[in-house]
Order: sequence, then structure tokens, then C-alpha cells
Amino acid sequence: MDRRSFLKTGSGLAALTLPAGLSAPALSQGAAARTLRFVPQANLANFDPIWGTQYVVRNAAAMVWDTLYGLDDKLQPQRQMVESEQVSPDGLTWTFQLRSGLKFHDGTPVLSKDVVASLARWSARDPMGQMIKALQNELVTVDDSTFRWSLKAPYPKMLYALGKVNSPCSFIMPERIAKTDPFQQITEFVGSGPYRFVRNEWVPGAKAVFEKFADYQPRSEPASWTAGGKRVMVDRVEWVVMPDAATAAAALQNGEVDWWEQPISDLMPLLKRNRNIASDIGDPFGNIGTLRMNHLLPPFNDVRARRAVLMAVDQADVMRAVAGDDDTLWRRLPSFFTPGTPIYPEEGGDIMKGPRNIEAAKKLLAESGYKGEPVVMLVAQDQPITKGQGDVTSEQLRKIGLNIDYVATDWGTVGSRRAVKSPTSQGGWNIFFSWHAGVDCINPAAYTAIRTNGEGAWFGWPKSDTVEAKRDAWFAAATLEQEKAAMAELNKAAFDDVVFCPTGFFSSYTAWRRNVSGVVKGPLPFFWGVSKS
Amino acid sequence: MFAYALRRVVATIPVMAIVALFVFSLLYISPGDPAAVIAGDQATPADVERIRQSLGLDRPYLVRFGDWAWHIIQGDLGVSIFTNLPVSTMIAQRIEPTLSLMVITLILAVSIAVPMGVVAAWKQGTWIDRAVMGFAVLGFSVPVFVVGYLLAYIFALELDWLPVQGYTPFARGVWPWFQNLILPAIALGGVYIALIARITRATMLEVLQQDYIRTARAKGVGQKGILFLHALKNAAVPIVTVVGIGVALLIGGAVVTESVFAIPGLGRLTVDAILRRDYPVIQGVILLFSFVYVLVNLLIDLLYTLFDPRIRY
Repeated sequence: MDRRSFLKTGSGLAALTLPAGLSAPALSQGAAARTLRFVPQANLANFDPIWGTQYVVRNAAAMVWDTLYGLDDKLQPQRQMVESEQVSPDGLTWTFQLRSGLKFHDGTPVLSKDVVASLARWSARDPMGQMIKALQNELVTVDDSTFRWSLKAPYPKMLYALGKVNSPCSFIMPERIAKTDPFQQITEFVGSGPYRFVRNEWVPGAKAVFEKFADYQPRSEPASWTAGGKRVMVDRVEWVVMPDAATAAAALQNGEVDWWEQPISDLMPLLKRNRNIASDIGDPFGNIGTLRMNHLLPPFNDVRARRAVLMAVDQADVMRAVAGDDDTLWRRLPSFFTPGTPIYPEEGGDIMKGPRNIEAAKKLLAESGYKGEPVVMLVAQDQPITKGQGDVTSEQLRKIGLNIDYVATDWGTVGSRRAVKSPTSQGGWNIFFSWHAGVDCINPAAYTAIRTNGEGAWFGWPKSDTVEAKRDAWFAAATLEQEKAAMAELNKAAFDDVVFCPTGFFSSYTAWRRNVSGVVKGPLPFFWGVSKS
Repeated sequence: MFAYALRRVVATIPVMAIVALFVFSLLYISPGDPAAVIAGDQATPADVERIRQSLGLDRPYLVRFGDWAWHIIQGDLGVSIFTNLPVSTMIAQRIEPTLSLMVITLILAVSIAVPMGVVAAWKQGTWIDRAVMGFAVLGFSVPVFVVGYLLAYIFALELDWLPVQGYTPFARGVWPWFQNLILPAIALGGVYIALIARITRATMLEVLQQDYIRTARAKGVGQKGILFLHALKNAAVPIVTVVGIGVALLIGGAVVTESVFAIPGLGRLTVDAILRRDYPVIQGVILLFSFVYVLVNLLIDLLYTLFDPRIRY
């Protein structure tokens, strides 16, 4: 008798002899196949996709709440909850008709009043929504399935705004929930998406459960990202939060979980050797690493000092620290935008190309008037991406004579300290690191970090009217060619002013058991079309 | 003794009040901002400020402390900033896994460590003694997460005997519950076994040199009787003290063990809350841990009377 037979026999005997309370619950193969166990990138700590804009919240929300438009894999908005739309010849009035038969998870029909309330809440928080709101004459219901949005000026990116996958997405909620203050958390999680959230099984930090919504009516078109027919092939999806990467790898190898959203690159060789596991680059848009400088304080209130940083940073070294030695996972980035996308520009990015010119950078830094004052660099140690960027660039910047004061801290502290505008002696800062999801950087629509509106800009508070004007030109562009031209000029202006220093482009893998099929590359994990045998 | 126990329970109130003040003040002065975490990395400073106001984090220290303390007095631990769930609900969701892990570890550790220490003392200077002390040094030296990874690799991945991670509630059956706790309990128990084994050995060595042990031997009492009836009972007070002190070790170790084995317990809840600056949850969990620690100390004090009749309260 071999070990397995022995264990099986032992288990059988135990099942026969132990009282019912002592035996394990039987889980049939069919039930197991209908439950997909997924390890998300982070903990689902809250579940309001408007109040909390973390990617993990958006990913879960996309299962539960539907949007008026979806984004397909060509980055084009497609009708989702909407049956049709009409725009007036002057581009000022949009009238939308909802699909019939849409239902929320509580059984109530989706009405235009729900949509109006949801869009009002979304537009209070989302950058594109805020732009539309600034142009808004009125947003009103026409009848139960029709609503109208009238504007003071045309907004050509309307459908993109309603379908984009950047957080916060314009998810549609019942009116009673959508009327919640956008800066307060909702307390009910009722959507009309293909899955319903099982609230009583939610253990924040450990588990979140989603069940197939039987009344969901998928569109007839094939699914493509968040567009098309979202056909659910499993009864239940369990998100299992695993803070430890080695444990997640072991659980995937052991078949205790089916899909791991973002395995760390160090563990990929191990997973690739396992014939039961498939893997691929998860998000084709990857991420852009960011070295953010404080434009309000010396030395980086002088563009020459900022330019010296661009000349000193060797993106290849930074990316190896962030993404590892697997060269397929990263590339140099002479741009602020996501490579491989239709309107990707490199104009102005020559400063990031070729060997680093340390002597020229030193000279430029001296010209800026820098005299060796401490440069406070905030580096979050609990985020491998920021730690990798900080460890490498601190050495690179010391080579040009910057007196780096490396502050090793955690992400929570960086999150609060980066908002401080005071001098460094009073808790301020000069440099911190972050990264942006590539899907947010395919154009300026949701790209907060590219803005240069001074006090209203993202941390670092860059101010440049030129950059802002080039950004506005993209929003006004009506054709692809106009968009390309606007992007080229914007990229050049952003490099001229050195809005920030891109540290490179990097991707990560996703890995799943081979008995799972239908995993699609995309900016977020899609749970429709995924089945398990 | 009842009066003593009652006095001790009442005495926990000022202790808890001091802990509450200390924890609240520490969190108040520590850097970090939950509003920034909630708003997400792309949020503007204005968004962060608006969220901070909506959470009441812009209020002065005394107002915030007074508000929190008033709710604590009424038994309300508050609501998590992130999940919007009551802290008591979050603790209730997580208490069973942690309690299970600690109880199993405690039983495992005591049942292994005490005989080990006794045998090491009995066989002082032999290879058995050295092996036990060698194990104790190893138990102290090897971090819990290393032991955890090794156990998971051998018993879950290679041998496929036990699960890598997770927790099954007791209500779903004893074996599924126990199965998930075996590896974590062994990993967590290593330090604890080492500590108890060393103390047991040292105390036993001292007791075995006492006159009454020599008398017992002279009267013809067997080795087992000497070791376990006469010596161990007299060595019990320091051992029980160390077992009690070790509960603090277990609480600390549970944080790492729960992360390594993905057990949804209080340790992970604490770490997650600290990283996100979820103040009500941190405060609630630390208050709970302090309360448990005070109660364990009380229990240990009461247990002394069982082992040493000379002790009276």
C-alpha cells in the first residue's frame, strides 16, 4: 500500500467512525469547479468605488456594478447599459436610452433616476466627471429609461469618460445609494453587474465572495474587456487575500487557489516550472515608475535642477531593482505615457535616452544654484516598487552631487507627508516615489500626475501654463490625428518643464491553474468568460 | 480568593484606562494619514483634505480622545475608517482563528516542552540533555517565518499531507479545523517550546538537588514518581509563570504566523490596520490584547495556589 492509498483508507475509516460533527464537509467536484478562488493584488478593505479609488476596489466593483459604456481591447468605448445615444448637432446635448430589462441585485429595475444620481456622485470625484460637471447645464431624467445631459460647451470625450476603466469609474448604483455624499462611504453594495457581493461572507483583509447574479442580462456581442456580453461561467468567485507572496505561490502550486493576480517576479521561475500553472503578462499597459519632485522648494523649484535629475537617472538600473532581471518585464521610457498605445509620444524624451551624462548633470545642477543642501527623499520600504526606485536613484543622484537625505519610512507616512508644503526643516520633502497604472497614462484623461495647475496639481505642485494648454488641446481633439499631435506636444512640454521623472515602464505577470480557462490580458482581472474544469 | 480575584478584575479598569490613553496618544503623534490611503495614490490634496474632514480627523486631540473614550465606556469600540464595519464585528470575525491557534500552540508547547525539560534535567550532561538544549537554542534562533516556510514546503507542497494556508471554522468539523492549524501551531510553538523547556530544565535541576528529593530516593520512590510527583510539582510555579509570560510571545508571534499561513486572525487585522492607519481598529485590538494579558496574569496568579498550598490570597 502506498502513502496516498494509506491516507485515503485512513480518511475513509475516519469518516465512518467519527461522529458527524467531526467529519469534513463534502465538496463535490462539480461544486469545486463552480467556485473560482482568486488571490487579488491587495486587500479589499472597503467597497465603495467612488469613495475609495484604489485599483483593488475598482477591480471588485467591476464585478458588481455595471457601467453605461464599456471599454474594449481597442480602447474604444462601447455601449454596455445603454441601448442608444443621440448627440445634438452642436454637441451640447446628449440623450441616452437605457437597455430594457436591466435589474439591480435587489430585484428593482434600473431606471434613469438611478443613473442620474450615480453620475452626479461620480462627477464630484472623477477628474473627467469634474470637467463635464463644469460644463454642465443640466443632468435630468426624461422618462424611466431615458436621461439627458446638456452642456454649455461640447465635450468630445463624453463616451470615453463614461466607459473608461480608470478609477473612479462611473458605476451605476440605485438612487438611494448613489445619493450618499461622495466623500462618505456607502453602506449598501447593490449593483446591476454580473456578480452580486455576498456581504455576510466578507472578512476585510481575508476574504470577499461574489456570486453569479442570475438575472443579469449580458449583451449579445462577444465580451471584450468591460464591453460586450459579460457571461459568467462560475457560480461563485472567492477572493482570498494573501499578504505573503511565498504563501500565495505555494497555495497556487498546491491547487488551493486557482488564480493569482500579481505574482512577484522573483517567484515566477518557480511557477513557470510547474506544468499545472500557466502564466502571462497580466496587464499589457503595465505601470510607469515615478520620481516625483517638489516644485515649491529648492533645489527643484529650478527647472535646471529637475533636468539634472533626468540626466542622472538610469532607468535600466531602476527597472532591474523594481521588476528583476527578466528583461521582458520592463523597458526604458523616454515618455510620460504608456508605450504600445495608439497615441504614444516620445517627443522631448531624448534626455532619457543613451548613456547618462553625469558631468553635464553636475554642471547643470551647479548652474541652478544648488549648494549641497540636504535633499529629503521619502522612500516607502513596505512597497517593493518604491523601495527599489529609492535605493537605486538615491545612489545615482548622489553621483551628481545631490546631498540625499534618504528617509526610510512606510507608505502610510509617505501618503501624509507628501501633502506637506512646508520647508524640509518643518516636515516637508523634496522627492518621493510612486507608480501609475499604464491604463491611466494612455492619454491625459485620467492622468492626474501630468497636470501642472500649481496648487491644484498632484503632490509636487508643478505649475506650467504651457503643459496645461497642451493637455487641453488633447481634450479638444476630435480626430485621432489631432490627438496624436496634441500628445506629442504635451510630452515635449512636460519634459521641457520636467513635471516629474519617469523611472521606466514595467509589467507584472498573472498566473493561474491550467484547469482555469478564459483569463484575458487587460488592465484589470475580468471574471466573465472565465471557467474552471 | 474570590475577593482577591474580584479586586484584581476591578484593578484592570485603571490599567485599561492608561493603556487606552497611551495607545490613543501614540497613534495621534505617529505619522501617517488614513485619508491619504483611502483617497488613493491619484487623489489630489484637496480630495484628501475633504476625506480627512469627513472622518473627523481634523478635530483637536482632546475632542477626538474624549469622543472615543466616551464610546469605549459605553462598550462601543467605534467603526473602522476603511471598512465602515464596527470594530467589535471585525474583532468577532477574527477572534476564533487567533484563539484556536493560541490554544493549540499552548497545548502543543506545554505537552512537548515540559517532558523535554524534565528529561533534560534528569539526564543532565548526557547527549539527551545537549540535544534538548540544542533544540532550545534552535527554537529561539530560527525565525517563525522560516520555520513556517519550511514546514509548508515539506508537509504541504512535497508530501501533500496538509494545506498550505487558510483557516476552517470549528463549526465545519474538528478535522478540517485542526488540519489548518497543525503547521502554524508547530511554527509558532518553536520559540515557546524552547522557552518552557529551558525553564523547566533549570527549575528541575534546582529542585532535584533539594533534601526532600534525596529523602524520597532513600525511601525507595521510583524515578517517575520523583520526577513527576515530587520534583515537577515543586518546580511548577516558575514554569507556570513562564507559560503566562509566553502568552505575550504568542500574541506577537501570531502576527507573523497568521501572515505566513494566511490565517484571518487578529494578528493580521492588527498589521493591516497599522499599515493603513485605521485608528479605531488599532485601538480596539490593542485594548483587547491588553485585557487578555491582564486576565492571563490573573489566571496564573490563581494557579499558584494549586501548585503551592503555602500561597494564600
